[in-house]
Amino acid sequence: MSAGVLHAFIIVMALLTLFPFLWMAGTSLKSPEEVFRPGVHLIPANVTWGNYGTALRKVPLWRFLLNGTIVAGGVLALQLLVIIPAAFAFARIEFPGRDLMFVLVLAALVVPGYVTSVPNFLLLSGLRLTNTYWALVLPFVGSAFGIFLLRQFFRQIPGEILDAALIDGCNTVRLLWNVLLPLVRPAIAAFAVFSVVTHWNDFFWPLIVIQSTHLYTPPAGIAYFADSDGGANWGAVMAASGIIITPLIIMFVAARRQFIESLAHVSLKG
Amino acid sequence: MSSSLAGQAALPGARLRRQANLTRYLVGYLFILPAFIFFVVFKFGAVAYLIPLSLADWRLGSTTRAFVGVGNYRKLIVSPEFWNALSNTGIYTVAVGGLSIALGLVLALALRRAGRLQGLYQAVFFLPVAATMSAMAVVWRFIFDTNIGVLNALMRAAGMEPLSWLQDNRLAMAAVVLVGVWSNMGYTMVLFLAGLTTISRDLHEAAAIDGASAPRQFWSITWPLLSPVTLFVVVIMTLRSVQAFDSIKVLTDGGPLGATQVLSHLLYRVGFQYFDTGFASAISVVFFALLAGVTLLQMRAERLVHYQ
Repeated sequence: MSAGVLHAFIIVMALLTLFPFLWMAGTSLKSPEEVFRPGVHLIPANVTWGNYGTALRKVPLWRFLLNGTIVAGGVLALQLLVIIPAAFAFARIEFPGRDLMFVLVLAALVVPGYVTSVPNFLLLSGLRLTNTYWALVLPFVGSAFGIFLLRQFFRQIPGEILDAALIDGCNTVRLLWNVLLPLVRPAIAAFAVFSVVTHWNDFFWPLIVIQSTHLYTPPAGIAYFADSDGGANWGAVMAASGIIITPLIIMFVAARRQFIESLAHVSLKG
Repeated sequence: MSSSLAGQAALPGARLRRQANLTRYLVGYLFILPAFIFFVVFKFGAVAYLIPLSLADWRLGSTTRAFVGVGNYRKLIVSPEFWNALSNTGIYTVAVGGLSIALGLVLALALRRAGRLQGLYQAVFFLPVAATMSAMAVVWRFIFDTNIGVLNALMRAAGMEPLSWLQDNRLAMAAVVLVGVWSNMGYTMVLFLAGLTTISRDLHEAAAIDGASAPRQFWSITWPLLSPVTLFVVVIMTLRSVQAFDSIKVLTDGGPLGATQVLSHLLYRVGFQYFDTGFASAISVVFFALLAGVTLLQMRAERLVHYQ
């Protein structure tokens, strides 16, 4: 295959991949009349920003983004609080039953979210927590994947560093906080990207536990807007879709390597 | 705690050593306790609770809850909806998995020779993986729209009849598969690229000197050496496709007439729209067994693959 054919193939595939994004952006800048005009024209004849105003008036998009931030941030903060000590204990503290407990972590790792959805919904609804942020956060705090990932990194820290810190008289908590956390920061960053993307994008769970529109996370919010208003106002729906995907796209462009690393390579076991 | 663990270990006397051990055990258990509380409540407890739930006839909100034994499972076996969802899940998984793996491999091989632009191309193909699926599925719904969708506009421009992509029960599955492949091929591509970098270039150079053609090099060197990666990608893609939900919910909501209803969507509908909790629990148990089966199959297959 010649270099020309190779590049032509890659460029055609790249344009097909990008097409939905371009079509979304183009449509969001068209007037309603132009959206309904027959024919294929990607670039709007007259660029108008009105669809963005309409979208923001019709649905609380900023609120959806705020909800997404609260939920993804809350999940990550609580996950780190719970998994860092556990991962450290599994890697570095010897206690009876440790290996058996770790097998349980691996068992928790393979339980898919759908399978636990009915009982977890019943539990949260029994605690009167459905339709609150708690319902979107609590089921995900115990991340078996996070423990699994961080444990690997804690195991790689040379024993001498631990011994030196212990001789200095660090207690376990201070040791973990001051000496070990800086060393496992890359693993925490990788886990953070994975966790934030997963919970920001999650669509199934908010659909089940949230009834009030103002508590919707971005994926549930955009689907709600498309269902309630779609046929009549595609320009505004495309503008809203653009607003909804922007935060993660900015993060992706800013930290491309970290993103690909976290979502593809690190999450292999997740 | 001011005394160090190392200091305690150095002190003489069995009593003190035992005490140091006990302290260490206690720290260990305390450190894993919070995580295990969450596991017990939301994972193990939830799975355990599924069993009695699946043996009861109970609609959410109703006050009666009768034990029906395997009644829900019997209902499952004779339910055409269940078999339809199972077969749709199989079709969707094979189609999306197969096509995204094939395209991902082709893209990875092409990108390996793309030179300086490789990083940029990689970002472009990975973009759908990073974008929020439900929002992009809304965009696809607009692209597929029968009246003003761009796909039908292109068909008209090419002199073809427009089609009802999402409302025709033969086309709807093809449409959701297309979106599935679009959103996954960058993912498989990245995994294959990582696998390809582990294959030494010396092998290809030696083969080229011996006069092996590019296809011959692919089938004799790249493909066999890539087999552990390929198996791995097959497993990951199977698990991902079997659990697909977002794009199908937004594009077709399982329709038309169940033509794209997969197991995850059936579970959603039965459990959270019909509120038939007992039946939904039985579906969950079967879903779990299916996924566990895939994982077991993976472990079996791993032993058969040619490692080098």
